[in-house]
Amino acid sequence: MDVPVWLESFKPIYWAIPVFTILIFAEMIYGKISGRARFEPHDSAASLVMGLGNTVASVLFGGLTTAWFFVVYEFHVFDIGFAWWVWPVALVLDDFVYYWSHRFAHTVRWFWADHVVHHSSQHYNLTTALRQPWFSVLTLKWMWLGSILILIGFHPLVIATVGALNLIYQFWIHTEAVGKCPSWFEAVMNTPSHHRVHHATNPIYLDRNYAGIFIVWDKMFGTFQPELEHEACRYGVVKNLGTYNPLVISVHEWLGIIQDINRAPTLKAKLLYLLAPPGWSHDGSRDTSRQILSRWQQKQAVKDPQTDPGHSPAE
Amino acid sequence: MVFLLILAGSLAGIAAMVVANIYLKPFRPAEIVSLDDAAHRLDIDAVGFQPGEGILAVDGRSALVEERNGERLGLLVARGSDVVIRYLVPGMVRSARLDGQGGVRLSLKDFTFAPVDIPMGQTRLARQWADRLNDLQEG
Repeated sequence: MDVPVWLESFKPIYWAIPVFTILIFAEMIYGKISGRARFEPHDSAASLVMGLGNTVASVLFGGLTTAWFFVVYEFHVFDIGFAWWVWPVALVLDDFVYYWSHRFAHTVRWFWADHVVHHSSQHYNLTTALRQPWFSVLTLKWMWLGSILILIGFHPLVIATVGALNLIYQFWIHTEAVGKCPSWFEAVMNTPSHHRVHHATNPIYLDRNYAGIFIVWDKMFGTFQPELEHEACRYGVVKNLGTYNPLVISVHEWLGIIQDINRAPTLKAKLLYLLAPPGWSHDGSRDTSRQILSRWQQKQAVKDPQTDPGHSPAE
Repeated sequence: MVFLLILAGSLAGIAAMVVANIYLKPFRPAEIVSLDDAAHRLDIDAVGFQPGEGILAVDGRSALVEERNGERLGLLVARGSDVVIRYLVPGMVRSARLDGQGGVRLSLKDFTFAPVDIPMGQTRLARQWADRLNDLQEG
Protein backbone atom coordinates (compact mmCIF):
# COMPACT_ATOMS: atom_id res chain seq x y z
CA MET A 1 0.00 0.00 0.00
CA ASP A 2 1.40 3.42 -1.03
CA VAL A 3 2.23 5.89 1.73
CA PRO A 4 0.60 9.31 1.10
CA VAL A 5 3.27 11.80 -0.02
CA TRP A 6 2.37 14.38 2.65
CA LEU A 7 2.83 11.81 5.41
CA GLU A 8 6.43 11.04 4.47
CA SER A 9 7.59 14.57 5.36
CA PHE A 10 5.01 15.42 8.06
CA LYS A 11 6.76 16.21 11.39
CA PRO A 12 4.10 17.67 13.72
CA ILE A 13 6.63 18.15 16.56
CA TYR A 14 8.69 20.57 14.44
CA TRP A 15 5.56 22.62 13.78
CA ALA A 16 4.70 22.58 17.46
CA ILE A 17 8.06 23.87 18.76
CA PRO A 18 7.42 27.58 17.96
CA VAL A 19 3.99 27.31 19.58
CA PHE A 20 5.56 25.69 22.67
CA THR A 21 8.05 28.57 22.91
CA ILE A 22 5.36 31.25 22.67
CA LEU A 23 3.22 29.50 25.28
CA ILE A 24 6.16 29.19 27.70
CA PHE A 25 6.82 32.93 27.44
CA ALA A 26 3.11 33.61 27.92
CA GLU A 27 2.99 31.37 31.02
CA MET A 28 6.04 33.11 32.50
CA ILE A 29 4.45 36.51 32.06
CA TYR A 30 1.16 35.21 33.45
CA GLY A 31 3.05 33.74 36.39
CA LYS A 32 4.72 37.08 37.07
CA ILE A 33 1.40 38.92 36.97
CA SER A 34 -0.87 36.44 38.73
CA GLY A 35 1.48 34.31 40.83
CA ARG A 36 -0.30 31.22 39.45
CA ALA A 37 2.75 29.80 37.67
CA ARG A 38 6.15 29.26 39.19
CA PHE A 39 9.39 29.23 37.20
CA GLU A 40 12.96 29.07 38.51
CA PRO A 41 15.82 29.81 36.08
CA HIS A 42 18.02 26.78 36.95
CA ASP A 43 15.05 24.44 36.84
CA SER A 44 13.76 25.89 33.56
CA ALA A 45 17.22 25.68 31.99
CA ALA A 46 17.58 22.05 33.09
CA SER A 47 14.14 21.14 31.70
CA LEU A 48 14.75 22.86 28.38
CA VAL A 49 18.21 21.30 27.95
CA MET A 50 16.68 17.91 28.73
CA GLY A 51 14.12 18.55 25.99
CA LEU A 52 16.80 19.49 23.50
CA GLY A 53 18.87 16.43 24.44
CA ASN A 54 15.79 14.27 23.91
CA THR A 55 15.46 15.64 20.38
CA VAL A 56 19.12 14.88 19.67
CA ALA A 57 18.70 11.37 21.11
CA SER A 58 15.66 10.83 18.89
CA VAL A 59 17.80 11.61 15.85
CA LEU A 60 20.71 9.45 17.06
CA PHE A 61 18.60 6.41 17.96
CA GLY A 62 15.71 7.10 15.58
CA GLY A 63 17.26 5.01 12.81
CA LEU A 64 17.35 1.95 15.03
CA THR A 65 13.75 2.22 16.21
CA THR A 66 12.44 3.13 12.75
CA ALA A 67 14.22 0.16 11.21
CA TRP A 68 12.70 -2.09 13.88
CA PHE A 69 9.18 -0.77 13.26
CA PHE A 70 9.48 -1.42 9.52
CA VAL A 71 10.78 -4.93 10.15
CA VAL A 72 7.78 -5.59 12.43
CA TYR A 73 5.46 -4.13 9.76
CA GLU A 74 6.64 -6.83 7.36
CA PHE A 75 4.71 -9.26 9.56
CA HIS A 76 1.53 -7.17 10.04
CA VAL A 77 -1.73 -9.07 10.38
CA PHE A 78 -4.23 -6.70 8.71
CA ASP A 79 -3.85 -4.24 5.81
CA ILE A 80 -5.29 -1.21 7.56
CA GLY A 81 -3.99 1.45 5.17
CA PHE A 82 -4.48 5.21 5.37
CA ALA A 83 -8.25 5.81 5.06
CA TRP A 84 -9.64 8.78 7.02
CA TRP A 85 -11.13 6.57 9.76
CA VAL A 86 -7.74 4.99 10.45
CA TRP A 87 -6.49 8.20 12.07
CA PRO A 88 -9.02 8.55 14.93
CA VAL A 89 -8.89 4.81 15.56
CA ALA A 90 -5.08 4.87 15.65
CA LEU A 91 -5.11 7.90 17.95
CA VAL A 92 -7.41 6.18 20.47
CA LEU A 93 -5.59 2.84 20.33
CA ASP A 94 -2.20 4.52 20.58
CA ASP A 95 -3.44 6.38 23.66
CA PHE A 96 -4.58 3.07 25.14
CA VAL A 97 -1.10 1.61 24.58
CA TYR A 98 0.39 4.84 25.99
CA TYR A 99 -1.66 4.39 29.18
CA TRP A 100 -0.15 0.94 29.81
CA SER A 101 3.32 1.95 28.75
CA HIS A 102 3.12 4.91 31.13
CA ARG A 103 1.74 2.74 33.93
CA PHE A 104 4.65 0.31 33.52
CA ALA A 105 6.99 3.32 33.51
CA HIS A 106 5.85 4.05 37.07
CA THR A 107 5.63 0.53 38.40
CA VAL A 108 8.70 -1.21 36.98
CA ARG A 109 11.99 0.33 38.06
CA TRP A 110 13.79 -0.44 34.79
CA PHE A 111 11.24 1.70 32.96
CA TRP A 112 11.07 4.23 35.81
CA ALA A 113 14.82 4.85 35.41
CA ASP A 114 13.95 6.46 32.10
CA HIS A 115 10.67 8.15 32.99
CA VAL A 116 11.85 9.60 36.33
CA VAL A 117 13.62 12.30 34.31
CA HIS A 118 10.25 13.79 33.35
CA HIS A 119 9.14 13.84 37.00
CA SER A 120 12.37 15.17 38.47
CA SER A 121 11.37 18.83 38.60
CA GLN A 122 9.78 20.23 41.74
CA HIS A 123 8.08 22.78 39.51
CA TYR A 124 5.06 22.25 37.32
CA ASN A 125 5.03 24.52 34.33
CA LEU A 126 5.21 24.18 30.56
CA THR A 127 8.99 23.68 30.65
CA THR A 128 8.37 20.54 32.72
CA ALA A 129 6.57 19.06 29.70
CA LEU A 130 9.84 19.31 27.78
CA ARG A 131 11.94 17.69 30.52
CA GLN A 132 12.32 14.38 28.70
CA PRO A 133 14.80 11.51 28.98
CA TRP A 134 17.79 10.95 26.73
CA PHE A 135 18.16 7.20 26.97
CA SER A 136 14.62 5.89 26.43
CA VAL A 137 16.01 3.48 23.87
CA LEU A 138 17.51 1.49 26.79
CA THR A 139 14.08 0.52 28.11
CA LEU A 140 13.49 -1.58 24.95
CA LYS A 141 9.76 -0.88 25.40
CA TRP A 142 9.63 0.21 21.77
CA MET A 143 10.44 -3.37 20.74
CA TRP A 144 7.19 -4.77 22.14
CA LEU A 145 4.67 -2.24 23.50
CA GLY A 146 5.61 0.29 20.83
CA SER A 147 5.26 -2.33 18.11
CA ILE A 148 1.85 -3.84 18.96
CA LEU A 149 -0.24 -1.57 16.75
CA ILE A 150 2.24 -1.92 13.91
CA LEU A 151 2.05 -5.68 14.16
CA ILE A 152 -1.75 -5.44 14.01
CA GLY A 153 -1.41 -3.52 10.76
CA PHE A 154 -1.16 0.22 11.38
CA HIS A 155 1.60 1.70 9.21
CA PRO A 156 4.65 2.87 11.25
CA LEU A 157 4.22 6.41 9.93
CA VAL A 158 0.61 6.48 11.14
CA ILE A 159 1.71 5.38 14.60
CA ALA A 160 4.61 7.85 14.62
CA THR A 161 2.24 10.67 13.68
CA VAL A 162 -0.48 9.90 16.23
CA GLY A 163 2.25 9.33 18.85
CA ALA A 164 3.60 12.79 18.12
CA LEU A 165 0.08 14.27 18.34
CA ASN A 166 -0.32 12.54 21.71
CA LEU A 167 2.88 14.19 23.00
CA ILE A 168 1.83 17.57 21.59
CA TYR A 169 -1.53 17.28 23.36
CA GLN A 170 0.24 16.59 26.65
CA PHE A 171 2.27 19.80 26.47
CA TRP A 172 -0.52 22.17 27.52
CA ILE A 173 -1.59 20.09 30.53
CA HIS A 174 1.72 20.80 32.32
CA THR A 175 0.60 24.00 33.97
CA GLU A 176 -0.78 25.43 37.18
CA ALA A 177 -2.16 28.41 35.26
CA VAL A 178 -5.29 26.51 34.20
CA GLY A 179 -7.64 25.47 37.02
CA LYS A 180 -10.41 23.03 36.16
CA CYS A 181 -11.87 22.75 32.65
CA PRO A 182 -15.62 22.32 31.95
CA SER A 183 -16.91 19.17 33.64
CA TRP A 184 -17.68 17.31 30.38
CA PHE A 185 -14.08 17.89 29.29
CA GLU A 186 -12.64 16.85 32.68
CA ALA A 187 -14.74 13.67 32.46
CA VAL A 188 -13.25 12.46 29.19
CA MET A 189 -9.97 14.22 28.53
CA ASN A 190 -6.68 14.48 30.37
CA THR A 191 -6.48 18.03 31.74
CA PRO A 192 -4.04 20.21 33.70
CA SER A 193 -5.91 19.30 36.89
CA HIS A 194 -5.69 15.54 36.27
CA HIS A 195 -2.06 15.74 35.26
CA ARG A 196 -1.07 17.89 38.25
CA VAL A 197 -2.20 14.94 40.36
CA HIS A 198 0.00 12.66 38.27
CA HIS A 199 3.07 14.81 38.93
CA ALA A 200 2.38 15.24 42.65
CA THR A 201 4.16 13.35 45.42
CA ASN A 202 1.39 13.66 48.01
CA PRO A 203 0.77 10.05 49.08
CA ILE A 204 -2.85 10.09 47.90
CA TYR A 205 -1.73 11.25 44.45
CA LEU A 206 1.16 8.81 43.93
CA ASP A 207 0.91 6.58 40.84
CA ARG A 208 -2.42 7.98 39.65
CA ASN A 209 -3.70 9.39 36.34
CA TYR A 210 -1.44 7.76 33.75
CA ALA A 211 -3.53 8.96 30.81
CA GLY A 212 -2.06 10.64 27.76
CA ILE A 213 -5.05 12.22 25.98
CA PHE A 214 -8.12 10.41 27.39
CA ILE A 215 -8.54 10.17 31.17
CA VAL A 216 -11.14 7.42 30.64
CA TRP A 217 -8.41 4.75 30.73
CA ASP A 218 -7.63 5.64 34.37
CA LYS A 219 -11.31 5.51 35.22
CA MET A 220 -11.62 2.11 33.52
CA PHE A 221 -8.56 0.57 35.17
CA GLY A 222 -8.90 2.05 38.68
CA THR A 223 -6.04 4.52 38.68
CA PHE A 224 -8.03 7.77 38.57
CA GLN A 225 -7.70 10.35 41.31
CA PRO A 226 -9.28 13.82 41.03
CA GLU A 227 -7.38 16.84 42.29
CA LEU A 228 -8.65 17.71 45.77
CA GLU A 229 -9.13 21.29 46.95
CA HIS A 230 -7.77 20.53 50.42
CA GLU A 231 -4.70 18.66 49.12
CA ALA A 232 -2.46 21.04 47.21
CA CYS A 233 -0.04 19.25 44.89
CA ARG A 234 3.64 18.98 45.87
CA TYR A 235 5.61 18.20 42.75
CA GLY A 236 8.69 16.13 42.03
CA VAL A 237 9.70 12.65 43.10
CA VAL A 238 9.71 10.98 46.51
CA LYS A 239 13.47 11.61 46.79
CA ASN A 240 13.99 14.91 45.01
CA LEU A 241 17.23 15.71 43.24
CA GLY A 242 19.58 18.25 44.79
CA THR A 243 21.10 19.18 41.44
CA TYR A 244 20.19 20.82 38.14
CA ASN A 245 22.93 19.01 36.20
CA PRO A 246 21.21 17.53 33.10
CA LEU A 247 23.61 14.59 32.89
CA VAL A 248 22.96 13.64 36.52
CA ILE A 249 19.22 14.06 35.95
CA SER A 250 19.51 11.74 32.92
CA VAL A 251 21.43 8.87 34.44
CA HIS A 252 20.87 8.98 38.20
CA GLU A 253 18.28 6.22 38.40
CA TRP A 254 20.15 3.97 35.95
CA LEU A 255 23.25 4.31 38.16
CA GLY A 256 21.11 3.73 41.24
CA ILE A 257 19.91 0.45 39.76
CA ILE A 258 23.48 -0.64 39.01
CA GLN A 259 24.59 0.23 42.56
CA ASP A 260 21.65 -1.65 44.07
CA ILE A 261 22.21 -4.72 41.89
CA ASN A 262 25.87 -4.78 42.90
CA ARG A 263 24.92 -4.68 46.59
CA ALA A 264 22.02 -7.16 46.34
CA PRO A 265 22.72 -10.38 48.26
CA THR A 266 20.79 -12.80 46.01
CA LEU A 267 19.96 -13.24 42.34
CA LYS A 268 16.27 -12.75 43.15
CA ALA A 269 17.03 -9.42 44.84
CA LYS A 270 19.14 -8.35 41.84
CA LEU A 271 16.23 -9.07 39.51
CA LEU A 272 13.76 -7.29 41.76
CA TYR A 273 15.96 -4.16 41.80
CA LEU A 274 15.35 -4.13 38.06
CA LEU A 275 11.73 -5.22 37.86
CA ALA A 276 10.02 -4.39 41.18
CA PRO A 277 8.31 -1.03 41.71
CA PRO A 278 10.56 1.97 42.45
CA GLY A 279 11.34 2.14 46.17
CA TRP A 280 11.53 -1.62 46.65
CA SER A 281 14.62 -2.75 48.58
CA HIS A 282 15.75 -6.16 49.80
CA ASP A 283 16.20 -4.92 53.37
CA GLY A 284 13.04 -2.80 53.56
CA SER A 285 15.06 0.37 54.01
CA ARG A 286 13.03 2.25 51.38
CA ASP A 287 9.36 2.64 50.60
CA THR A 288 7.31 1.96 47.49
CA SER A 289 4.37 4.23 46.61
CA ARG A 290 1.96 1.69 48.08
CA GLN A 291 3.85 1.58 51.37
CA ILE A 292 3.91 5.38 51.56
CA LEU A 293 0.19 5.55 50.83
CA SER A 294 -0.57 2.86 53.37
CA ARG A 295 1.39 4.74 56.07
CA TRP A 296 -0.36 7.98 55.15
CA GLN A 297 -3.78 6.32 55.36
CA GLN A 298 -2.97 4.92 58.79
CA LYS A 299 -1.86 8.37 59.92
CA GLN A 300 -5.04 9.94 58.54
CA ALA A 301 -7.17 7.32 60.26
CA VAL A 302 -5.56 8.13 63.61
CA LYS A 303 -5.92 11.87 63.03
CA ASP A 304 -9.56 11.75 61.94
CA PRO A 305 -11.26 8.33 62.12
CA GLN A 306 -14.44 9.74 60.44
CA THR A 307 -12.72 10.84 57.26
CA ASP A 308 -12.27 8.62 54.23
CA PRO A 309 -8.50 8.63 53.74
CA GLY A 310 -8.77 8.05 49.99
CA HIS A 311 -8.21 5.16 47.64
CA SER A 312 -6.84 1.89 48.92
CA PRO A 313 -3.35 0.80 47.88
CA ALA A 314 -4.86 -2.29 46.31
CA GLU A 315 -6.73 -0.25 43.69
CA MET B 1 21.05 20.82 7.62
CA VAL B 2 17.43 21.34 8.70
CA PHE B 3 18.20 19.53 11.95
CA LEU B 4 21.21 21.77 12.64
CA LEU B 5 19.04 24.84 12.06
CA ILE B 6 16.44 23.46 14.47
CA LEU B 7 19.20 22.76 16.99
CA ALA B 8 20.61 26.29 16.72
CA GLY B 9 17.12 27.78 16.94
CA SER B 10 16.32 25.65 19.98
CA LEU B 11 19.51 26.75 21.75
CA ALA B 12 18.68 30.39 21.05
CA GLY B 13 15.13 29.78 22.27
CA ILE B 14 16.37 28.15 25.48
CA ALA B 15 18.75 31.04 26.15
CA ALA B 16 15.94 33.55 25.57
CA MET B 17 13.56 31.68 27.87
CA VAL B 18 16.12 31.42 30.67
CA VAL B 19 16.98 35.13 30.34
CA ALA B 20 13.26 35.96 30.46
CA ASN B 21 12.98 33.74 33.53
CA ILE B 22 15.83 35.60 35.27
CA TYR B 23 14.43 38.98 34.29
CA LEU B 24 10.79 38.29 35.15
CA LYS B 25 11.60 36.33 38.34
CA PRO B 26 8.26 34.51 38.54
CA PHE B 27 9.30 32.75 41.74
CA ARG B 28 10.24 33.39 45.37
CA PRO B 29 13.46 31.84 46.74
CA ALA B 30 12.63 29.09 49.21
CA GLU B 31 13.21 29.81 52.88
CA ILE B 32 12.95 27.66 55.97
CA VAL B 33 11.49 30.16 58.41
CA SER B 34 11.92 28.24 61.67
CA LEU B 35 12.79 24.87 63.13
CA ASP B 36 9.06 24.22 63.46
CA ASP B 37 8.73 24.88 59.75
CA ALA B 38 11.59 22.43 59.10
CA ALA B 39 9.98 19.78 61.33
CA HIS B 40 6.61 20.29 59.63
CA ARG B 41 8.15 19.85 56.18
CA LEU B 42 9.90 16.66 57.32
CA ASP B 43 6.70 15.31 58.85
CA ILE B 44 4.78 15.83 55.62
CA ASP B 45 7.59 14.51 53.43
CA ALA B 46 8.34 11.40 55.47
CA VAL B 47 4.68 10.81 56.40
CA GLY B 48 5.61 10.83 60.05
CA PHE B 49 8.72 12.40 61.52
CA GLN B 50 9.00 13.07 65.23
CA PRO B 51 11.45 15.98 65.57
CA GLY B 52 14.09 16.13 68.23
CA GLU B 53 16.96 18.58 68.46
CA GLY B 54 17.74 20.67 65.41
CA ILE B 55 19.49 23.69 64.01
CA LEU B 56 18.39 26.26 61.47
CA ALA B 57 21.05 27.90 59.29
CA VAL B 58 21.36 31.62 59.93
CA ASP B 59 20.40 32.36 56.31
CA GLY B 60 17.25 30.19 56.55
CA ARG B 61 18.39 28.16 53.54
CA SER B 62 19.10 24.89 55.33
CA ALA B 63 18.32 23.00 58.53
CA LEU B 64 19.20 19.81 60.34
CA VAL B 65 16.62 18.08 62.54
CA GLU B 66 17.31 14.90 64.44
CA GLU B 67 14.51 12.36 64.72
CA ARG B 68 13.41 11.90 68.33
CA ASN B 69 14.34 8.21 68.33
CA GLY B 70 17.77 9.11 66.97
CA GLU B 71 17.37 6.86 63.91
CA ARG B 72 17.99 9.52 61.29
CA LEU B 73 18.87 13.14 60.80
CA GLY B 74 16.62 15.20 58.53
CA LEU B 75 18.52 17.56 56.24
CA LEU B 76 16.62 20.31 54.46
CA VAL B 77 18.26 22.52 51.86
CA ALA B 78 16.59 25.32 49.92
CA ARG B 79 17.46 25.12 46.23
CA GLY B 80 15.90 27.77 44.05
CA SER B 81 12.28 28.07 45.05
CA ASP B 82 12.05 24.61 46.60
CA VAL B 83 13.38 22.63 49.50
CA VAL B 84 15.18 19.33 48.96
CA ILE B 85 15.22 16.80 51.80
CA ARG B 86 17.48 13.92 52.73
CA TYR B 87 17.25 11.58 55.72
CA LEU B 88 20.79 10.94 56.87
CA VAL B 89 21.62 7.54 58.31
CA PRO B 90 25.01 5.91 58.93
CA GLY B 91 26.98 5.58 55.70
CA MET B 92 25.46 8.56 53.92
CA VAL B 93 27.88 11.34 54.89
CA ARG B 94 31.11 11.79 52.96
CA SER B 95 32.44 14.67 55.05
CA ALA B 96 31.37 17.56 57.25
CA ARG B 97 34.04 20.23 57.56
CA LEU B 98 34.14 23.51 59.45
CA ASP B 99 34.20 26.42 57.02
CA GLY B 100 36.07 28.71 59.41
CA GLN B 101 33.14 31.14 59.60
CA GLY B 102 30.92 29.32 62.05
CA GLY B 103 29.42 26.99 59.51
CA VAL B 104 29.68 23.46 58.12
CA ARG B 105 30.33 22.34 54.56
CA LEU B 106 28.53 19.05 54.15
CA SER B 107 29.12 16.50 51.37
CA LEU B 108 27.02 13.38 51.01
CA LYS B 109 27.79 10.07 49.31
CA ASP B 110 24.91 10.91 47.01
CA PHE B 111 25.84 12.24 43.61
CA THR B 112 22.37 13.71 43.15
CA PHE B 113 22.93 16.06 46.06
CA ALA B 114 25.48 18.83 45.61
CA PRO B 115 27.65 19.78 48.65
CA VAL B 116 25.94 22.31 50.88
CA ASP B 117 27.13 25.11 53.19
CA ILE B 118 25.23 25.39 56.45
CA PRO B 119 26.09 28.69 58.20
CA MET B 120 25.41 28.31 61.91
CA GLY B 121 26.83 31.57 63.24
CA GLN B 122 28.95 29.98 65.99
CA THR B 123 32.06 27.84 65.65
CA ARG B 124 31.15 25.83 68.76
CA LEU B 125 27.77 24.88 67.34
CA ALA B 126 29.28 24.17 63.93
CA ARG B 127 31.85 21.83 65.51
CA GLN B 128 29.15 19.96 67.45
CA TRP B 129 27.05 19.40 64.34
CA ALA B 130 30.06 18.55 62.19
CA ASP B 131 31.01 15.86 64.72
CA ARG B 132 27.46 14.53 64.72
CA LEU B 133 27.42 14.45 60.92
CA ASN B 134 30.83 12.83 60.69
CA ASP B 135 29.54 10.05 62.95
CA LEU B 136 27.31 9.13 60.00
CA GLN B 137 30.23 8.43 57.65
CA GLU B 138 30.49 4.74 58.42
CA GLY B 139 27.62 2.53 57.28
